[in-house]
Amino acid sequence: MRRQKSLARGVDMATSVALAIGMMAAAVWLGGDSVMAAGEVRTVQIEGSTTVGPIADAFAEAFGRIHPNVSITVKKTGSGDGAAALVDGRCDVATMSRFMKPAEFKKAVDNGRMPVAHAVAMDGVCVVVHPSNPVKELTTGQVRSIYKGEITNWKQLGGPDAKIVVISRDTSSGTYETFHKLVMKKEKMAAGTEYVNSNPQAYARVKTTVGAVGYVGLGFVDRHVRALKIDGVLPTRRTIAKGTYPVARPLFFFTAGYPKLGSIVHALCTFHLSERGQEIIEAKGFVPVTEY
Amino acid sequence: MTPTTAAAKRRATAAGFDRPLLLSARQDLGGWVLRGVGRSLLLGIALTSVLAVAMIFVFIVKEALPFFTGERTGELLTSTSWYPKAEPPVFGALAMVLGSVYVTAGALVLAVPVGLLAAVFLSDIVPFRLRQMIKPAIELLAAIPSVAYGFFAVLVLAPWMQEHLSLPTGTNALNASVILAVMAVPTIVSIAEDALTAVGREVREGAYALGATRAEAIVTVVVPAARNGIFAAVVLGMMRAVGETMVVWMASGNASQVPSPWWDLSQSVRTMTATIAGEMGETVKGSVHYHGLFAIGLLLLAITFGLNIVSELLLVRGRRAAKGGAK
Amino acid sequence: MRTLVRRILDKLFTASSGLAVLLMAAALVLILGPIIWRGSDAVFFDATVEFRRMQLGELHRGDAEAVADELDRAHAARQKVYDLLDRFSEGIDTSGPAQRAKEVLRQYEAQLANRVEAGAIGESDSRRMRRRAKKLRNALLDAYEADEADAALARLADVLESPEREALAHTAAGEFFRMAARYKEVAARLDMSLREKYADPLASVRETIGLLLGPRPGQPVPDLSQFRYGATRWDQATALLDELLWAEQWVSDGAGRPMRKVRTRREEVFAGTELAGLFPLIERDLEEMMLPQSTVYWQYFIDDSPPGHFFGGVGPEAVGTLLLTALSMLLAVPTGVTTAAYLVECTRGGPLVRVLRTCINTLAGVPSIVFGLFGLACFVLWMLPGLGLSNGSSILAGAMTLGVLVLPIVIRASEEAIRAVPASYREASLALGAGALRTFVTVTFPAALPGILTGVILSMSRAAGETAPILFTAAVAVGKLNWNITQPTRTLSYGSYDLAVGDRLAAKVPHNQFGMILALILLVLLLNTAAIVIRWRIGKRLRGA
Repeated sequence: MRRQKSLARGVDMATSVALAIGMMAAAVWLGGDSVMAAGEVRTVQIEGSTTVGPIADAFAEAFGRIHPNVSITVKKTGSGDGAAALVDGRCDVATMSRFMKPAEFKKAVDNGRMPVAHAVAMDGVCVVVHPSNPVKELTTGQVRSIYKGEITNWKQLGGPDAKIVVISRDTSSGTYETFHKLVMKKEKMAAGTEYVNSNPQAYARVKTTVGAVGYVGLGFVDRHVRALKIDGVLPTRRTIAKGTYPVARPLFFFTAGYPKLGSIVHALCTFHLSERGQEIIEAKGFVPVTEY
Repeated sequence: MTPTTAAAKRRATAAGFDRPLLLSARQDLGGWVLRGVGRSLLLGIALTSVLAVAMIFVFIVKEALPFFTGERTGELLTSTSWYPKAEPPVFGALAMVLGSVYVTAGALVLAVPVGLLAAVFLSDIVPFRLRQMIKPAIELLAAIPSVAYGFFAVLVLAPWMQEHLSLPTGTNALNASVILAVMAVPTIVSIAEDALTAVGREVREGAYALGATRAEAIVTVVVPAARNGIFAAVVLGMMRAVGETMVVWMASGNASQVPSPWWDLSQSVRTMTATIAGEMGETVKGSVHYHGLFAIGLLLLAITFGLNIVSELLLVRGRRAAKGGAK
Repeated sequence: MRTLVRRILDKLFTASSGLAVLLMAAALVLILGPIIWRGSDAVFFDATVEFRRMQLGELHRGDAEAVADELDRAHAARQKVYDLLDRFSEGIDTSGPAQRAKEVLRQYEAQLANRVEAGAIGESDSRRMRRRAKKLRNALLDAYEADEADAALARLADVLESPEREALAHTAAGEFFRMAARYKEVAARLDMSLREKYADPLASVRETIGLLLGPRPGQPVPDLSQFRYGATRWDQATALLDELLWAEQWVSDGAGRPMRKVRTRREEVFAGTELAGLFPLIERDLEEMMLPQSTVYWQYFIDDSPPGHFFGGVGPEAVGTLLLTALSMLLAVPTGVTTAAYLVECTRGGPLVRVLRTCINTLAGVPSIVFGLFGLACFVLWMLPGLGLSNGSSILAGAMTLGVLVLPIVIRASEEAIRAVPASYREASLALGAGALRTFVTVTFPAALPGILTGVILSMSRAAGETAPILFTAAVAVGKLNWNITQPTRTLSYGSYDLAVGDRLAAKVPHNQFGMILALILLVLLLNTAAIVIRWRIGKRLRGA
């Protein structure tokens, strides 16, 4: 008798759990956005950089309205991961904030995939500090010294007597690569540099830490952090587009071979050439590749 | 007792009662074979856990091996410079190992006293009914996902540290240690409490009979009697702290350095787990960096495996001591 | 004397151990408190009319008529603001008309495309007409940008006196001429120096009002949903109001010292102009413009949200977490229970059992990130592509990884539960003639079921909360609601991490950050409470209640 009761109770519990899950699933399906249109759902996988990620997000959103039966997933774990995914054929578009390395190119070609680069926007790597910091401009040499650990206090640069908290992106990021190449001239950073994993994280650290210095993409500069003039040039749309800002770089979408004309991937990779696409890129804080 | 009516026959068949009491040789053999097959099937399923462990070791070693057979191996445990993207790349993981040590040691310094005192409170001082109420609350503390702890660490604790302790940076070893301590305490409490309750009543009664106060009885007699279990609890807490990823990734600052001076926990450090979590996403699969990260994973696996074995031995000895003592 | 000291020490010891437990309770409250408090802000808050408009527009939920009525009332209050802005900004801030000019060209191009399709005109003709219209638009834009009245008037003359005026007058492009004529009047009487002084402050005021009230009626709908609605929450609206009324500046505090933040009322910037009246107006009438109402947004847990989580809820993340958890349970529970049954029923100790136990304990001790590495190397890069099931991260890979992670928990709990079944049950069943299998299935297993369920529920809560194993195997930050297990998915745990340190928009919507982590914690707490209740009831039964 008792074992029947406990069996019944167990079955009861299992049934109620299953019912709850089923109800929630039904609620999502009924109450949420109508996502499952009848017919085939084509998925486009975009993987790669956290810098270019917001552009991919915005394109995905804009496309979601035009082509409701296409599902675009965006993964933002880093340029290197995007390249690896493209090499293995695990994604359709790889977003990268740096060009592909020869090793990655070779692996892709060995796998029978010819990477094609589409430069969708320009970005500037802006050196930012807390807005209360009176230091307004630095030279690339000074920035290099800070990151090498040779300058450790703001008062050595005309600022307040506070320790410099050096923030950098992790070594696998495309933003780091650009900074490393153009500012650090490939020299090593000091051991005490704090590493963060994404642009928004770097932004958050500089915003909340009075003595911090970090570098973020142009789209992440707002009134809570101040971008410094580097070698006398302030990073703005104009200076980046014209190339006068020393730390500017193009942002890429990479595909395996040129995408088939008329396909969704082709539309995605040419969206930046349309006015709407460029307006979206500007709205996200990047610089369109051309004046429109 | 052979069934006569049709209904009775059905019931009997369903309950298996229509089998003759004396089985033929063939039925006997058949039953024996079936039993063997069934047991082997169960054994096969049970061996999945062995398979899983084997596969984990195989895959991690397989992906870490190219690093060890390559050129850059020597510096893994001797150099503190981790520059995988420099030319030539440098893979010195010493700073990270020390970072894990710092954070774990800091966590234990905070967690062991609190955990032990709480375990003592639960096992010896509190009445049974209250204990039944407090234990679930402790398990609740253990059940909170690590992402929530990391959330708290980076959004609440870090700014607090910057403001109120005037630290230059709020994401540092201290922050990570405090949060890891909170995460390790429930583990320590539950295992230590088990060990303390397993100590027989006679031990305590003997101490009281000799005139000890409760505190003296606990400190001088009960805790030493349960010391194997308590060490095991500490080791398991250590394992929890060493293996934790999300909290240290979000809260420790990730600077690949050894703090100087060595006792300054307010500086940022990096742990092995955070390195793997942070860099794996962006690495080119199959590169030296990729294999290097797996090498760190292997290191981590070896360390936790070692700690696991130690805690196992301690627990077994503790159980034997408790059984042997309570004769 | 010594006795007193000893008694005091005893009391101190008791007190300190009680303090330790109190400290733990305090830590629990300290950590969960802000999360629950601020996370509930995502569900219980004051919603403005923009929120209801958003619900209608994006999620098709709500009473269209009631919302339309409210919008009318709100627009009546807002109209004064727009009028003031328009009157002041003619000639000073030309970004509005410039946007309009671009939109007009787009409309004209669409018209041309229709006519080509209908066969009314040829391709090359359409291209020619489009080129000409574009020239007109660029001349108009140059006029808007010009800093000197003369330059502006010259460009406007280009537009107004162009030979195409006749041909385009009755198409969409005819709007260009109307706009040019209007701007000519403005430029003629405009003092360009005003533009220099007020252009930037006006632009930022416009921007803030755009964020507050949303796009003006009649403007084209922006592509990105984050720009389609104004402030959806009353606390957002009051924060934006503060930003509007006060301008922040960082002023130097002396050489070598950090700068100070100084707030000045924005009215003073526009003192003496008509726009100065805007600010007290908005301050006074904001409630009428936004119509806040306290709302219970329980659909937060099932709604989708655009990339960046600017509004909406955590539905897809919750579904992703549930899918992962359910699938991993499906893989782990049968294996785990069978293993536990084997360990208890079929073995008597010996080397095999010791090996099994060591393996189970090892599994329990492996760090979660190493599981993630294993999942990546084994499932994502080797097994699933080998079976042709999926080419990258997928729910399947994540579920398999999580299944291996929770296996030891299930085995331990099941073993305990099965061992706890009194031997008399088994013996009675055997005495009645049942075989070993029948005994287990009909007697032991049902009796152990509550304990096994406890273990299953605890491992469910563990699997739902883990982030490190799914980082490389199943989790993405952005993606549609997904039932396909060969694709990756959003999850509550990874989403919480992403929002805590990731997305830039997330800082603007802290209620979403805390809301997601609250959803995860609620899920975990729910599961754990269920486990505790089951265990308590077993305890009662065992004690004979």
